[in-house]
Amino acid sequence: MKSSLQQQLIADFLIESFEGLDQFDQDLLGLEQGSADGETLNRIFRAIHSIKGTAGCLGIQRMEKVAHVGENLLSLMREGRLKANKDIISTLLKYADALREMLRNLEQSGTEGTTDHSALIARLQELQGEPSVASTPSPAPSSAPAPAPAAAAIATPETVAPEAVTPPVSTEPNPPPTSAAPTAEEDAAWGFFSDAPAAPAPSAAAAVESAPISATPPTSSAPTVERETTSRGSIADSAIRVDVGHLDKLMNLVGELVLARNQIVQHIRSSRDSAMLPVAQRLNLITTELQEGVMKTRMQPIDNVWAKFPRIVRDVSQELGKVVRLEMEGRNTELDRTIIEAIKDPLTHILRNSIDHGIESPAKRRAAGKSEAGLLYLRAFHEGGQVNIEIMDDGAGVNTARVKEKALQKGLVPPEQIARMSDREACNLIFLPGLSTAEKISNVSGRGVGMDVVKTNIEKIGGSVDVQSEAGQGTTIKIKIPLTLAIIPALTVRSGGERFAIPQVNLLELLRVESGSAENSIENIFDAPVYRLRGKLLPLVFLNRVLSLEPPDPSTLTSLNIVVLQADGRLFGLVVDSVSDTEEIVVKPLGKQLSGLTCFAGATIMGDGQVALILDVMGLAQHAQVAAVERTAVSAKTEEAQTDEQTRRQTLLLFSVGDRPRMAMTLSEAGRLEEIPRAKVERAGRREVVQYRGQILPLIRVAQHLPGGGEDPIADPMHVVVYSEQGRSVGLVVSNIEDIVEDAVRVEHRISRDGIVGSAVVHGRVTDLLDVKGIIREAEPAFFES
Amino acid sequence: MSKTIMTVDDATTMRRMIAFALKPTGHAVVEAPDGRAALDLARSRQVDLVITDVNMPNMGGLELTKELRAIPSYARVPIILLTTESDPEMKNKGRAAGATGWIVKPFNPEQLVAVVSRVLPN
Amino acid sequence: MSTPRQFCTFFVDGLFFGIDVLQVQEVLRYQPMTKVPMAPTMVRGLINLRGQIVTAIDLRHRLGLSSRSADSLPMNIVVRSEEGAVSLLADQIGDVIEIDDETFERPPDTLKGAARELVTGVHKLKDRLLLILDTHRAIGVAQGVAVEA
Repeated sequence: MKSSLQQQLIADFLIESFEGLDQFDQDLLGLEQGSADGETLNRIFRAIHSIKGTAGCLGIQRMEKVAHVGENLLSLMREGRLKANKDIISTLLKYADALREMLRNLEQSGTEGTTDHSALIARLQELQGEPSVASTPSPAPSSAPAPAPAAAAIATPETVAPEAVTPPVSTEPNPPPTSAAPTAEEDAAWGFFSDAPAAPAPSAAAAVESAPISATPPTSSAPTVERETTSRGSIADSAIRVDVGHLDKLMNLVGELVLARNQIVQHIRSSRDSAMLPVAQRLNLITTELQEGVMKTRMQPIDNVWAKFPRIVRDVSQELGKVVRLEMEGRNTELDRTIIEAIKDPLTHILRNSIDHGIESPAKRRAAGKSEAGLLYLRAFHEGGQVNIEIMDDGAGVNTARVKEKALQKGLVPPEQIARMSDREACNLIFLPGLSTAEKISNVSGRGVGMDVVKTNIEKIGGSVDVQSEAGQGTTIKIKIPLTLAIIPALTVRSGGERFAIPQVNLLELLRVESGSAENSIENIFDAPVYRLRGKLLPLVFLNRVLSLEPPDPSTLTSLNIVVLQADGRLFGLVVDSVSDTEEIVVKPLGKQLSGLTCFAGATIMGDGQVALILDVMGLAQHAQVAAVERTAVSAKTEEAQTDEQTRRQTLLLFSVGDRPRMAMTLSEAGRLEEIPRAKVERAGRREVVQYRGQILPLIRVAQHLPGGGEDPIADPMHVVVYSEQGRSVGLVVSNIEDIVEDAVRVEHRISRDGIVGSAVVHGRVTDLLDVKGIIREAEPAFFES
Repeated sequence: MSKTIMTVDDATTMRRMIAFALKPTGHAVVEAPDGRAALDLARSRQVDLVITDVNMPNMGGLELTKELRAIPSYARVPIILLTTESDPEMKNKGRAAGATGWIVKPFNPEQLVAVVSRVLPN
Repeated sequence: MSTPRQFCTFFVDGLFFGIDVLQVQEVLRYQPMTKVPMAPTMVRGLINLRGQIVTAIDLRHRLGLSSRSADSLPMNIVVRSEEGAVSLLADQIGDVIEIDDETFERPPDTLKGAARELVTGVHKLKDRLLLILDTHRAIGVAQGVAVEA
């Protein structure tokens, strides 16, 4: 067993050395790119110098030796006697890796490992040139003092008696100068300058008389310094190192405190104890400040992760024969350390991926009229309580055709879904598990972990990732992550008798529509309820319906509460029964049994001690299929100029019915498109039905419900649009499926009649929109009754 | 009587190690991560012995020594430099800067205590 | 050689079950629960166990037995798992009993459904049979359990 001091010292040494080596890498790269200043070489030197010195004192001898060789080379560079070139820098980077490996070994197994570094050492010595440089001492131990006895005792206390585990000094508070103290001025290990101002006497006893200064310095009249109980106390350090475990524990405790605070404050408020009220307020304030303070201690700049990127970019691009320029903006953007930790691997993977698949070879870039050096641009910034990270390259862009083909080939997405996919959606296919577009598995990014893992890991911490790409122009990957995971402000709402918390970060505004106007204020576009919010249509989602909760008692419903939410660019109104306060909640994870529920981000304990679920707004939006409307909201923003209140970008299914060559319905209404052989049609009474996925699917001949309809030449197989709601389905028989288009649709509303809900200009042509629900209601009156 | 020793080194591990080695001497130890911080600290409170690394960011040990010597109350306070064997010219520079003595890194605790006990007799 | 083991016993729909006491963190009377919409039916709700949120799994559901009548409140047997504590809801709690391995027998092959999956064996006690429950499977973290919403 190593002594705890030894362990502590080694732990410090590891942290310090890893950090030093990271800086070392960065500085070398700066040197290579010519961005180094006068201090850079000093820092480079010091990094290795410190490792050598500390390793020596800790008795980590192999590392000391390896560090020593590097120090010699760096010393020549610092003195300007050796100029950095690509070869030297590459060797020094490898050298840093070798030191890292030794450190990792030390961390994991307690020894430096047995890797043979002699080739590297030889190379370093070679680079120093001929040993003719006079001041370069040979690394032979001849000039080195013998650190061995005591240092070894620290390093390998296993070999000595327990009392010797602590350095010998502790057992001998006043060691006689017999063992180590030389009397001559010159000594290998230590000594005094004879003409120094405070030259001490040769022996401790004599020092009192002959060195009065040191015995009674002129300053002893200064206020007596307090004796420090621990010798670590540091005043000058503006920063101190704190064990991350302590911070985590503090954070947990603060979380518990927040809960207790919530309970107390709620109790005092409800008891209307006026004497206690100010106390509650104070408690409230202090807790909030404490919480912010503790959170701040855990914040780290994203540069902690990014700092390693120049090195990675250099290595990866060299390996792939590419030239890449890395630019970073927002290095000081701060994030909670748990999040920093969590995004490290995903970001690194994206970076590798961008160089591997995004940025082209210099030849290809030249041919495409681009500069040979590809640009990799990283940006981080805070926005709306979240951190945005963007990774942009100016490479070839995502080959959407290829991605679609792959997805199809591997059966990852059904063909009809592929067919109606926008380019942006196709880009995001790269996040599907099992999809790799690399022609051959490359050493760099094809290691079995794909972008799907990146997405999963980012979503795990409540983040989202999106990719946008333009062929030939490049790719941008946008990541949004929360600042912290532990404590968030949230709005409490009720629906169907249950209580839910909505993260404030998703909350835009609260609307309250009084009952008189409530009914009128909700309109339906097909079956999608919307609310006119300042002239724009806001898609509505009824929480009780999405979660299959009990609907509110209409008699008690005096008003309609709409919570306007935003997630991932989607905007929608969540209709709830009632809205309560906003308060800080502590996010707790749900058990594994509930991991499949995308609508919930976790749970929390409310002021009354009861558990409440936290809504995952994005999951909820997806679940309620706000997605289709979502794009509308996003693109509407960008095309503000041509947008008016009724113009919305929609994906429409175009089809022909009877003698009408062109009708449309929104794609979100078309559950599936099927071709059914006429022979499979059975008759039940006067209804036509087919067996479909283990259900009886009633068929509705759309033409018969349109004016002038009647006869329609039915193809074989029949084209059927399957509409589903609440587990029930009905098939709409049309003449042919014509197209799927996305367009900014201006719907001319008119009162729904004769199976048509309105008309719109789609791709320049007036197109009637089918009243899907109306027709179903007419043909199958029982369908919508639940 | 207990004295105050200031250790100056950019490596936390090294400072901690020195502090630990000095614990049995009963002296208080204060720390600084570089020369500039050490100078600030030295001005804010008088220390009785300075043990400083040579190579540090912001301000190195030699410059620190010169600066301290310019402060009257530090004119005769012992300053020990922590040097490495790869720095043979250091002794001359150290002497010129006004240092009291040197300890070669790596050192062992006994050597450190021996040096301290000679410049800070009880 | 047989080593006596201690079992925490409980009743579910008239059946007598046991769990190795080492797996049991604590036993609690009925706790108010928060329903989880769209959760698998075996999840009865979430309880607040001293600030920790614990998923409560209804053993009646899990074992494919009849539902508990609305007026009887289930007891919580909180078991440890790698994923944190999970509560198993039972009708009634029995004693902690010590049993020898000698009385143990594998479950009969005729056992069907969820019971087959969850009952690892039977101890033949004097007056009744004690069914040993596989808690890992019961809380649905083991393979082969559909937990999809």
